[in-house]
Amino acid sequence: MAYPGQPAPGGFYQGGYGGAPGGPAFPGQAQDPLYGYFAAVGGQDGQIDADELQRCLTQSGIAGAYKPFNLETCRLMISMLDRDMSGTLGFNEFKELWAVVNGWKQHFVSFDSDGSGTVDRQELEKALMTMGFRLSPQAVTAITRRYSTQGKIAFDDYIACCVKLRALTECFRRRDATQQGFVNFHYDDFIQCVMSI
Amino acid sequence: PPPGGPYGSPYGCPQPGPYGGAAPGGNAPPGVDPEAFSWFQAVDEDHSGFISVKELKQALVNNNWSTFNDETCLLMINMFDKTRSGRIDVYGFSALLRFIQQWRGLFQQHDRDQSGSISFSELQQAFSQMGYNLSPQFSQLLLARYSQRCPQPSIQLDRFIHICMQLQSLTDAFREKDTALLGNARLSYEDFLTMVVTRML
Repeated sequence: MAYPGQPAPGGFYQGGYGGAPGGPAFPGQAQDPLYGYFAAVGGQDGQIDADELQRCLTQSGIAGAYKPFNLETCRLMISMLDRDMSGTLGFNEFKELWAVVNGWKQHFVSFDSDGSGTVDRQELEKALMTMGFRLSPQAVTAITRRYSTQGKIAFDDYIACCVKLRALTECFRRRDATQQGFVNFHYDDFIQCVMSI
Repeated sequence: PPPGGPYGSPYGCPQPGPYGGAAPGGNAPPGVDPEAFSWFQAVDEDHSGFISVKELKQALVNNNWSTFNDETCLLMINMFDKTRSGRIDVYGFSALLRFIQQWRGLFQQHDRDQSGSISFSELQQAFSQMGYNLSPQFSQLLLARYSQRCPQPSIQLDRFIHICMQLQSLTDAFREKDTALLGNARLSYEDFLTMVVTRML
């Protein structure tokens, strides 16, 4: 079965996720405008934590006219790409994040028809469905209840939701040996994989 | 399999109380004690008769005086909000305070060196005592995610509550699917998403 956001042959993400795969540093990295934002907040170790990511994203203006990301969302974003489980991101992971978030932002903008910076439940459901997530009505209800204020979901919360769904999907997909959409979970593995997000 | 099955002692701590059950002593009558009531009034800044997540955040503090994080406050509100309005009334608040008190007690119990926060080894021991059989890597990951970047990462009360409640909730969800109690469950992608999304948000 095809999972949303799964890399196509060739290794690039489909469906508006944007993003080049992470890889070794490339020539010209120092001239990359993103590197400027990253270096400005990162410490000597070339890694940024959630606080630093928040500052970095705010300064890069990725949120545009929307409210910048809260700390919890930044923490989530790190967990999504934090392959070495360090709780921090290196520059290549940051670049990947930036591209993915941009893809999600374009998607959000296309559903935010009145430009209010929010979407309602129906628009959210459509947005998530068109990204390929097949969610049950209970799941959509839970998501809406968690992320909406007076029936509206803001950009930051939408991103948090996308991050969670993508991370959960990855967690499941990696264990789906036959790629049929089923996994035989052992209890310990289930708990640890889900609570790592 | 060990006694109690592959989960160790059945699905976490078998005692009632700190995991969302009744207050100690069982069936406390629905009422509001004077202290909870005056606290409620102080926290309900706009005198709406309801406390929102934002107002609740001001009321709950960790041992290091940091306010409870948003996620835990949200979890608390959802637990004690009978009206599904995203706010709690004085009865909900009173029950919430009792609930937090029990958690403080449990937290102190597991904070063996009385440092005010829970370290890696204390967390491992807490999980083990609650009946969970989780790897050290898992505890490391939780610490990496939920503590500041400092030499001695540790967990404050708010995150401790949040982690334990999620463990309980996800275990319940898994058990519903594992009808034979084998410690395994075959989940479809959609089931998996629904289970997790409805329990973790």
